[in-house]
Amino acid sequence: MTIALDSIREAASIRESAIVATDAWHARAVVFAAACVMIGVYWDISWHMTIGRDTFWTPAHLLIQAGGLIAGLSSGYVALRNTFVGTGAQREASVGFWGFRAPLGAWVCVWGCGAMVLSAPFDNWWHNAYGLDVQIISPPHMILALGIVAITVGALLLTLARQNQTTGTEQKQFATLFTIAAAFWIMNVWVMLSEYSYKEFMHSGLFYRVAATYYPLVLLTTARANTLRWPATKASAVYMGLTLALMWTLQAFPAEPKLGPIYQRITHMVTMDFPVLMVVPAFGLDVVRQRLHGRVRDLWLAPLLALTFVALFLAVEWPFASFLITTHSRNWFFNGANYVYFMTNQFAARTFSFADWEPWSRPLAPQLAFAALLATISSYVGLKWGSWMTKVRR
Amino acid sequence: MGKLDDESAAMIARVLRALTLALTFIALVPSLSDAHVGSPDVVFDGKAGTYDVRVIVRVPSVVPGLADVTVRVLRGDERRVLIRPVFWRAGVAGAPSADVATPVHGASKLYSGQLWLMARGAYSVYVTVEGAEGSGTVAVPVVSVATGRLGMSTGLGLLLAALGGLLLAGLITLVYAGAGESVVEPGTTIDPPTRRRARLMTIVAAPLLAMALLGGAKWWQSVDATYQTRMYHPLATRASIAREAGRPVLRFAVVDRNGRDLQLDPLVPDHGKLMHLFLIDSATLNGFAHLHPVYTGAFYSPLPPLAPGTYRLFGDITFETGLTNTLAGNLQLTREDSLLAASSTPGDPDDAWINASGAKRIDRIATVDTLADGSTMEWRSDSAKIRAGDETTLRFRVRDPSGTVARLEPYLGMNAHAVIVRDDGSVFVHLHPAGTVSLTAQRVFALRDRGDTTTRGRLKLGADTMQNAMPMAGEFSFPYIFPRSGSYRIWVQVRRDGRVVTGVFDVVV
Repeated sequence: MTIALDSIREAASIRESAIVATDAWHARAVVFAAACVMIGVYWDISWHMTIGRDTFWTPAHLLIQAGGLIAGLSSGYVALRNTFVGTGAQREASVGFWGFRAPLGAWVCVWGCGAMVLSAPFDNWWHNAYGLDVQIISPPHMILALGIVAITVGALLLTLARQNQTTGTEQKQFATLFTIAAAFWIMNVWVMLSEYSYKEFMHSGLFYRVAATYYPLVLLTTARANTLRWPATKASAVYMGLTLALMWTLQAFPAEPKLGPIYQRITHMVTMDFPVLMVVPAFGLDVVRQRLHGRVRDLWLAPLLALTFVALFLAVEWPFASFLITTHSRNWFFNGANYVYFMTNQFAARTFSFADWEPWSRPLAPQLAFAALLATISSYVGLKWGSWMTKVRR
Repeated sequence: MGKLDDESAAMIARVLRALTLALTFIALVPSLSDAHVGSPDVVFDGKAGTYDVRVIVRVPSVVPGLADVTVRVLRGDERRVLIRPVFWRAGVAGAPSADVATPVHGASKLYSGQLWLMARGAYSVYVTVEGAEGSGTVAVPVVSVATGRLGMSTGLGLLLAALGGLLLAGLITLVYAGAGESVVEPGTTIDPPTRRRARLMTIVAAPLLAMALLGGAKWWQSVDATYQTRMYHPLATRASIAREAGRPVLRFAVVDRNGRDLQLDPLVPDHGKLMHLFLIDSATLNGFAHLHPVYTGAFYSPLPPLAPGTYRLFGDITFETGLTNTLAGNLQLTREDSLLAASSTPGDPDDAWINASGAKRIDRIATVDTLADGSTMEWRSDSAKIRAGDETTLRFRVRDPSGTVARLEPYLGMNAHAVIVRDDGSVFVHLHPAGTVSLTAQRVFALRDRGDTTTRGRLKLGADTMQNAMPMAGEFSFPYIFPRSGSYRIWVQVRRDGRVVTGVFDVVV
C-alpha cells in the first residue's frame, strides 16, 4: 500500500513537473505565429489578385516570414534549452530527435519552418524557370503549404499538451487557443482548395468531392482532441469569422493593379471569395460525434459522419451558390464580383453561370456518392489522428 | 493534404487547363514568334515627342517575366522618364500605371527599369519623356514569348536536394517520435510494444512518404512538359519552286505537322508589303535577295536570278495584333532553276538581289564597298571593337562616284535597310535606322489607342500602306545589339536613281 501511494505521489510530482515543462509562452507564441502566417497568406493572395507586383519585402510576405520564424526559432530555442540546460522534468516531457530533446509540437514547428525556408529558393527558381505563376497550387507553393500546415499542427499539439496538463481557467484558455489553431488549419485547407471552390463550380461534383476529401479530416482530428463542447463548430465559426473579417477589411483599402494586361477596373483590394459555410456541417459532425461518443466504433462512425458532412455541406452550399451567382451577391458583404485584374470580361461573365464543362461533375448523384466515400476515408483518418492526439503526452 | 485519386487529379488538371486557357491571352499559333532569328533584344532609335531617345528592351525568356528596359535620352532636356507595358489586346486602358525609370548611376541621361510582361503576344513599351520641352511618348513594340527554361544550377540543386532530404528524414523521425515516445507519460520510459508500434508506423509511413515525393516529382515533370509545349517553336515552313508559264516561281508556305498548308491570321502590310522575304546563300553568303511575295494562301514570288545552291529563307510578316514574326526555311536551287530565272523580271518593283563576289572575312569594322552603280558605301566605326550583348551603332555613308555624299531616294519608305546574318544562319535580323522594331507594329498600337477598330476587332487599315516618310540623307545608322560572338555578314540596301543597290560588309564580333 505504501509502495502504491509512493508511486502515485511520484507520478503526481512528475505530472506537476510536466506542467512546468510544457511552456505556456511557447504554445501561445506558436498560435500567434500560425495567425501571422495565415493572415499573411490571405493578404498575399489578395495582393496578387489586386496589385500583382510584389517583392520579397511586401507586408504580406513579411507577416508570413515572421510567423514561420517565430514558430521555428521559439521551438528551436526550446529544443536547445531542453537539450543542454533543461531540467529533468523538461527533458522527460520531451521526445528525442537526432540527439536533441523538445516537445513533439516543437519539432513539428521546426520541420514546418524548414519546409517554408526550403520553399523560398525553390519558388524563386520556379518563377525564373517557368515565369511568375498566378496560381496557388504549384510544387513550391505546396511545400510552403505543408510548412504552414506543420506550424498549425505544431500549434495544435502544443496547446493540446497544455490543455491536457492544466485545469480551470488555464485549461479553458488553452482549449480556446487549440480551437483557434484548428481554425487556421481549416483556413489553410480552404485556401489550398480555393481554385476548386469558385462559386461557378458549386453545382458540380468536383467541388463536393474535393471538399469531402479534406474538410472532414481536419474537423474531426481537432474535434476529437478538444476538451471544449462543440469544438468543430467553434473552430469553423472562428475560420469563417476570420476570413470574413479579412474579406471585409481588405476591401476597404484603395489599390490598383501594377501588372498588365488589366481587363477589370479595380480601385480597392480584391479578396478571396466568401468562405464556405463550414459551421453548418461542422455542427452536424459535433452533434453526431457527441451523441454516439463511446457507443459506436470508428469504423461505423466514420461513414455516419461522412454522410452527415456531405448532406449538410450540400444543403447549405447548393442554395448559397444559387444566390452567389445572382447580381444580389455583387456587393462588399458577399463579395460576389471579386474579379482579379487579369480576368477578361468574357471570363468574368462565365462566373455568373454554373460551370457545365467539367465532364466528370455530372450526373450529380454518383458524384455525391463518390464524395461520401471520400468523406468516409477522410473522417476515419481524422478520427484516428484525433485519437492519437489525445494520447500525446510530450 | 493528401493526394487526390487519379480520376480527381485528371479532372482537376482539366479544370486548371480550361482556367489557364481562359486566363491567358494566347492568339493563334503565329502569335508565338518574333521578327528575328536568335536576336531577341529590341533596339529603337526615334523620337518621344521632341526628345531623341534610344530604347533597349531585353525581353525575358519566360512568360510571365521581367523585361529590362534602358532609355538613353540622346537629345533634349529631360526631367524624368516613364516606362509602361501595354498589351495589344488590353491597350493603354488596360495597362498598369507607368513606372518612373531610375537614372543609371554614373551615366548621364541614361535610365533603366524593369517591366513585367505577363502575357504571350504583342506588347509595346510606352516610353514617356517629361522635361523642359513638355512631354512626349513613343511606343516600342516587343514580342512576349517563352523561348527558354532556366536550368537549375548544380549548387542550387544540391542545396534543395540536401534540404529536401533533411525534411524527408525529419518527417520520418516525426512519425517515429509521434507514434512512440510522444504518447509515453513523462518520466516513464518507452515500453517494447510502443517501440514496436512506432517502428511499424515508421515502416508503413516511409514508403508512403516516398510515394508522395514521387508524385510530387511526376507533377513537376508534367508542369515542365506543359511549359515546354507552350514555349515558342518556330513555325514549320516549306519552300519550293513551281513553274508558271515556264518561269520558276518561288512558293513559300507555313505548314502544319502533317505538311499541309496553314492559313495565317490576318496580316498587315509592313512598308506596303505583306512579307519581306530574304534569300541568303547558306554556303557562301554571296547570293542575297530581298523579295516581296504576294499572299494567296502561300507566298509567291518570281524566282530571282541567283546562283545554284542551298539558300536560307527568312520572311518577315506582321499580324494585325501588331505582332511580328520571321518565318524561316530552306530552298535548294538547281542549276536548271537558276538558268530559267536568269531572265526573270522582278515580281515587285522593290525587289532587289545581289550575287556578291566572295569577300574575305575581315576582322575590321571600317570598310568601304563599291556598289553596283559605281557609288561607294563606307562603314564608319564608332567603337574600336563590337562586343556581343553591347549596344552599338552601325554608321554608314554613301558617296556618289564623284565622292560627294549622295542623296538617297526612299527605299520602302526609308533611306536604308540592313540585314544581318550570322554565318551559320542562327542569327537573322532585318534592321532599319529606327532599330529592330517594326514601325508597322508601332503604327498598329497607335491605331488601337485611337480606337481604330471595328466591333470585330479588325483594324481599319483603309488604303494606308503604312509608308514611313523619313529624311533621305546619304548618312544613316542602325542601332543594334549583336546577340553573341561570331562572324556576321551585313547587307545594307539603299536606292539611288531608281535603282536599289546593296553594300556588303563582314564583321567578327
